[in-house]
Amino acid sequence: MGMTLDFSILLRFTDALAMGLWTTIKLTLLCVVLGTSLGFVIGLLRSNGNAFIRGALGLYVELFRGTPVLIQLFWIFFCLPLILGVEFSNFVSATIALTLYMGAITSETFRASLRSVGREQMDACVALGLPRSAQILNVILPQAVLRAVPTLLSNAVSLFKESALVSAVGMADLMFIGQNISNNTARPVEVLTVVAVIYFIIAFPLTRAVTVVEQKLLRKFSV
Amino acid sequence: MNATTTNSALVEINDLHKNYGPNVQVLKGLNIDMMPGERVVVIGPSGGGKSTLLRVVMGLEQIQGGSLRFGGKPYITTKGSKTVIDSEVRKKIGMVFQHYTLFPHLSIMENLILAPRKVNGESRASARERGQKILERFGLAAKADAYPSQLSGGQKQRVAIARALMLDPKLMLFDEVTSALDPELVAEVEQVILNLAAQGMPMMMVTHDMWFARNVASRVIFCAGGVVVEDGPPEQVLGDPVEERTREFINRVFHIKA
Repeated sequence: MGMTLDFSILLRFTDALAMGLWTTIKLTLLCVVLGTSLGFVIGLLRSNGNAFIRGALGLYVELFRGTPVLIQLFWIFFCLPLILGVEFSNFVSATIALTLYMGAITSETFRASLRSVGREQMDACVALGLPRSAQILNVILPQAVLRAVPTLLSNAVSLFKESALVSAVGMADLMFIGQNISNNTARPVEVLTVVAVIYFIIAFPLTRAVTVVEQKLLRKFSV
Repeated sequence: MNATTTNSALVEINDLHKNYGPNVQVLKGLNIDMMPGERVVVIGPSGGGKSTLLRVVMGLEQIQGGSLRFGGKPYITTKGSKTVIDSEVRKKIGMVFQHYTLFPHLSIMENLILAPRKVNGESRASARERGQKILERFGLAAKADAYPSQLSGGQKQRVAIARALMLDPKLMLFDEVTSALDPELVAEVEQVILNLAAQGMPMMMVTHDMWFARNVASRVIFCAGGVVVEDGPPEQVLGDPVEERTREFINRVFHIKA
């Protein structure tokens, strides 16, 4: 009994897959923007804030970096409503969880890029008599952000792929829709292959773009 | 010029002590009076505190003891374990570093005008006009919109000098500014400094280039072990040193033994 692959069955589900993809993209974009902004603030505070703030934020960052994203999702989905006494929609819960995760990851990216702007740049600022505000806003931050861009882009691509985990808590993203179709049609190979291809078609050009952006930035701004 | 009284000195360094951590004493009671118009070259073995001295004069370092005056005014003092630096006085001093330290994300023109705008509140237009003039003088007018990474080391270092001059400093510090350059690029940077010297710019510098030291200096200070060992005109310190330690150093620098 040979098994024949039949990809044509997927044609019946293009609308559902498109909706799932749209949910995945919306969720990813939202969490990339919110999470990166959160990470920027945390990165700054952990580089400059007082000891208590640094300690508290350090704990948060290490917790989210050191535990599986899937558990973070479950935790936010099931525990947060119990603690706060508020019910969130699936989308809001997923957004909170992935934003907190993304914030922890990107804060480390920003912290490393801030550190990479060397002491010599600060020396130059002081020798030129630049006021503290100009040292930060005109010299240190722009360089730190530029240096962070390639890593931030690859953080974003990672999040796009990791967002598939929200299917485990019942959110109708691309992965979830794919699993449903696969269960209903009993055609897991065809369906999951196509879903993987869709993820790849979007993620691959982005990872290539990261390399190009990195090389361009290096060429233009390396001293 | 009669320069025997200390209160007419441009820079007065009194009993300067500087440590890195509890165990590393770099400067151990250093005294120098630099007169207006002098061009002081500091030489000496590595680890002898030359670069640290310049960084202290620039106000980049905490000190553990002693004081500095600039133009007759108190500049750097210690209060308990704290170093108090008068930032208004510091603005009168410019410094160029070994590794250029241009701002890599800014164009050459933006590198030049950032400090005049932020420090002195000069308008962008006026700063650009002055920047363009100084770039022309340095033969870099075509590079105004380039980024530092597009320049050679010699060009970068000349931009760094131009950037410091934009603030009209009363004293220039040069810390091994040609040490990182390829040999064929050294002359263009040294020429700019020699031109500044000819215009009467007071300067204090650290260099390993003894030919340059001899040509630019009005005074040479040999620093070793954190103190001034010998201090005099270049012909004496470089040519016929009085102190034994200076003599040994100069012999080692100038003579390759077979």
